[in-house]
Order: sequence, then C-alpha cells, then structure tokens
Amino acid sequence: MGKPSFRPAKPSDMDRLVDLNVRLKRLNEEFDPLLKIREDIAEVSRKYLSDAMNSPNSLVVVAEDDGKVVGFIKADIRERLFYKPKMEGNIVEFYLLPEYRRKGIGAAFLDYAIDLLRQRAEIITAEFPSLNEIAVEFYTRLRFRGIISIYARES
Amino acid sequence: MAEEYDRHGRLAVSLASFYGGKLEIIPKIPVRSLEDFSVWYTPGVAAVCRAIKEKPELSLHYTGRWNTIAVVTNGTRVLGLGNIGPEAALPVMEGKSLIFKYLGGVDAFPLCINADTPEKFVEVVKALEPGLGGVNLEDISSPDCFKILDALRESMEIPVWHDDQLGTASVTLAALINSLKIVGKKMDAVRIVLLGAGAANIATARLLEKAGADLGKILLVDSRGILHAERYDMDELMLRNPWKYELGLRTNRDRVEGGLPEALKGADVLIAASQPGPGVVRKEWVRGMAEDPIVFLLANPVPEMWPSEAKEAGARIVATGRSDFPNQVNNSLIFPAVFRGALDVRARRISDGMVLAASNALADYVAPERLSEEYIIPTMDDWEVYVFVAAAVAEQACREGLARNPLSYDEAFVRARKTIERSRKILHSLMAEKIIKPIPKVD
Repeated sequence: MGKPSFRPAKPSDMDRLVDLNVRLKRLNEEFDPLLKIREDIAEVSRKYLSDAMNSPNSLVVVAEDDGKVVGFIKADIRERLFYKPKMEGNIVEFYLLPEYRRKGIGAAFLDYAIDLLRQRAEIITAEFPSLNEIAVEFYTRLRFRGIISIYARES
Repeated sequence: MAEEYDRHGRLAVSLASFYGGKLEIIPKIPVRSLEDFSVWYTPGVAAVCRAIKEKPELSLHYTGRWNTIAVVTNGTRVLGLGNIGPEAALPVMEGKSLIFKYLGGVDAFPLCINADTPEKFVEVVKALEPGLGGVNLEDISSPDCFKILDALRESMEIPVWHDDQLGTASVTLAALINSLKIVGKKMDAVRIVLLGAGAANIATARLLEKAGADLGKILLVDSRGILHAERYDMDELMLRNPWKYELGLRTNRDRVEGGLPEALKGADVLIAASQPGPGVVRKEWVRGMAEDPIVFLLANPVPEMWPSEAKEAGARIVATGRSDFPNQVNNSLIFPAVFRGALDVRARRISDGMVLAASNALADYVAPERLSEEYIIPTMDDWEVYVFVAAAVAEQACREGLARNPLSYDEAFVRARKTIERSRKILHSLMAEKIIKPIPKVD
C-alpha cells in the first residue's frame, strides 16, 4: 500500500465508483433503519455519479493508489437562498477503503476537495448519518460544527 | 457417542441433586474453642483491618484475597448451548471453579451476574476488585467479550483473563509450537489458516503474531469466506467487531479471495475453531495443503472432520478438543497454572508475555524423546505440568515488573507445587474420611 494521489474522476473510473458508493451506503445502513439500501442501488449509483460528473455544479474526485481508485468524494455547489455567505460547497459522499483510514489520508483528501470547491464556494458543509460517530469525530477535529439537523419518523 | 453424552448427562443431573452443587467454603485456620474467634473475628481482627487501611496492598497478604478469584459470566454464550442466561450457566461456572481448585489450587468463586450490556458487566466486575486476587471471565458472547476483557484489563490492578480467548489461544499456540518442531518448519515462515472467527480464533491470531508468526500470511476464514481488507462487510465489522476488523486489515497480505478450499491451497497449518462437524472440512481441501499439513480441529463435541479422515487426506499432525483422540487441545492445561503463577507473585495483570511464557512452558514440558505426531501436548493426568507452567508465568511476571511479590523461578516452582499438592490432598482426605460422600450408584 502506497500513498494515494488525488485527481478528478474520469468516466473510466465508473465501475469502481459505483462499488465504492454502494459500500458507503451499506455503511450508512448500519446507522439507521431509514437508511436501508434499495435493491437497485448499483444502477441508481451509476446514473447519479454520471450525472454528477457531467454537471458544472458537482464535483467528483478520487483517491488513487497504484492505479486503483481507493476512495472518492462527491460534492455539490449550491446557492443558499436566505443566508450569508451565499455559495456553499456541500460534501455529500465521502468514502475511503478501510486500509487507507486512520493515516491522515482522509484529511488530506478532504483538503484537496475543499481547495477545488473554494474556487466557487464560500462555506464548506458535509452530510452524513447523525449516528456516524466516526464522521462526527473526523469533521469536528477538522473544525466543522453542526448547523442544521435532519430528523425523521416513519410516517 | 450420542449415547455416551446421554449417559453423562443423566448422571450429571442426578449427582447435581445428590451433592447440591460442587463447591463449598471450608475454613483453613484451626478453631480450638469459641475463644479463638476473638482472634479470627472481633475484637482481634480490627488490628488486621487497621493495618490494611494503612497499606491496602496488605489485603493480598493478610486475607485469602491473594488466592481468590471470581469466575464471572452473564450466561450469554455457554458451551455450545448459546444464550441460556446466568442461572443456567452456574453449573458450568461451578465446574470451572472445581478445575481451578483441583488442578491449580486456586479458590475460584462462581459468579453469575445479570449484566446484558458490556458497560454494566464492566461496572459490576470492577466493583468486585477489592475482594479479589483475579478475575476469570467465562462464556460471554462475542464481540462483547473483547470489549469487556480490554476494558477490565485496562482498569483493574489484578489479573483478568477470558478463558475462551486467552486460554484457547495459549493452548493452541503450545500445540502449534510442538507441531512445528516435528515438521521442521519455522513460526515466521508458515502459512496459517484460521477457520472460524469467534473469540477463540481472533485471540489466537493476536497471540500468534506475538509468538512471531507473520500476520500477513495468516488467513481468517468465516461463514462469509476469507477475510481481507476489501471484503464487502469490512465497514460493518469496523462498527460491530473492531477486533475482527483489525485482523481484516492486517491478515491476508496477498488478498486471497474465496472460501476454505482456496485458503487451504498451499497452507501449512489449519486451526479450525468453527462449528461441530463432521463435514465442515473436507478431505480434498486438506489434500491441497503444503507438505506435512498440521490440522487442528477444535470444535466440540464433534470436530470439523474426523481425525481419521484428516490423516487419510495426508495430515501429518492432527489435534482435536476431545480427550478420546490423541492431542487434546484443552484450555484446562493452561488456566489453572496461569492463575497459580500470577497469584503466587501477586501479579497486577496477565500480560501477553505471560501468556506466551505459559504456551512455551506447556510445549517444553513434552520432552524431545516423547514428542511425536500422536503426542504434541501433555494430558491433564500429568499434574506436574501445572507446576512448570505456573513457575514460568510467575517468572515472566517478575521479569516484566508486574509482580508485587517477586519470586525466583525455583521459589515459584516450589510454592506452586505445594499449593497444588495441598489442594489435591485436602480433597482426597475428605473423600477418604467420607466427609465427601462416595458417588452413589445411579441407573
């Protein structure tokens, strides 16, 4: 295992990105029954990631080690209608394979994505399941704080 | 064999009722008249209390604490019976305590507690520390057992042991050390396959690394196949079983995928601690192993494959968990001795180094001229083995600075021998005096 490099995603990364996105959603599934994954998750992931790669308002970047994609970040640029500052870079998907964790690679990868987002966004936000304590700890350590909560009930 | 089990079962139930359990407390000081109580109890005892108040460590000297441990369970994973609850686990804890006393001279209290979360379990056991010289955790479901053991080992100043993890790992390692001597292979060079990823094999993998095995060459196989860093359930393991997750990251450097047949191709050693067989391990898979395969089939009551099948498939050395086949890999060879040694030097904990010392002493007890494919590990009949293992554990505790009461190897040896001999003598004399009634005829 070497030190991964970071770059924007290419169409040829798609199969691997789909696999990583499914892994991410399967991990989310562990946190809440309302995050149970759909049967067609692979197809939906493919379309979702392909749309994002073709959209001027989304960013898909990958971490690559020895020619293999080992992680990805997907973020959206969006306008905040009521608040200042106006432009937000919202990180919605972030996944790194287990053996690349706890080595500072995730933080470096996030820095790389934030640098790209900063060109258009004034604030950076990140979404993840409320009960994902590892994510809470990770973002808190990097000086993020909670600003909006999403609460759910079954009906 | 099923008949044999039935017979033992019927006998156990009727004797359980006849004797009303297996243990009782017997005084170890003389009581000549009631006047003696003013020494053993109030007012004399207050002076002992004051001395301990001044120096709490004296409680390990002035009371029976030094030789008293608790055998603690919540009954969530008892033998092959599953989660049967604390009350139903008591006969097993009594049995364990009996073995502690008979083979190790250790006063072990069976304690079955209502504690179904790891947090509550840890809190209860921690609260018991002032009266205990050690703790033996028993029959707790995985992965809670890892969490509980790690938390208690970290926070208590007395030895804490989980026999299903450490005992099994230690005796397995001893058997492997001697097997490797026979086939002339080195620990750091062999490819080891662990079948089953429960408490026993996870602890075995951890201990094998400490013993010099190359973790990257070890394959851990469970019901989902060979574990590796990119297996699809790794994220789930990260959250639910960090101990297994850690092994997922560090074993299987070459990313071998598939199931047991793929794992065994070219492997030197199989350590199966999975589910009762036969038929869990097949002959054709053993045939695919490297030259001189070493095959441990530890499931009870029926090993993963019959030893005769393993031999037919070319296994050079076969061990099981059963006493009716050669080479019984049996925790009872380890735990009474580990506690004997640790308690004699008033150890603060049982370190990995002490566990390794126990494995090495158990392996070394088999003299080179006795060592053979059919005899890689001593049997329980050989009671002197406990003295050797206890002395090695005590010596290692002193070496690591963990002993409150350091002893030389020879001192520890003599003390262990005396204590164990005394314990057997007491029981035998109570039997001779018929204070312990002979076993009645049961039909």
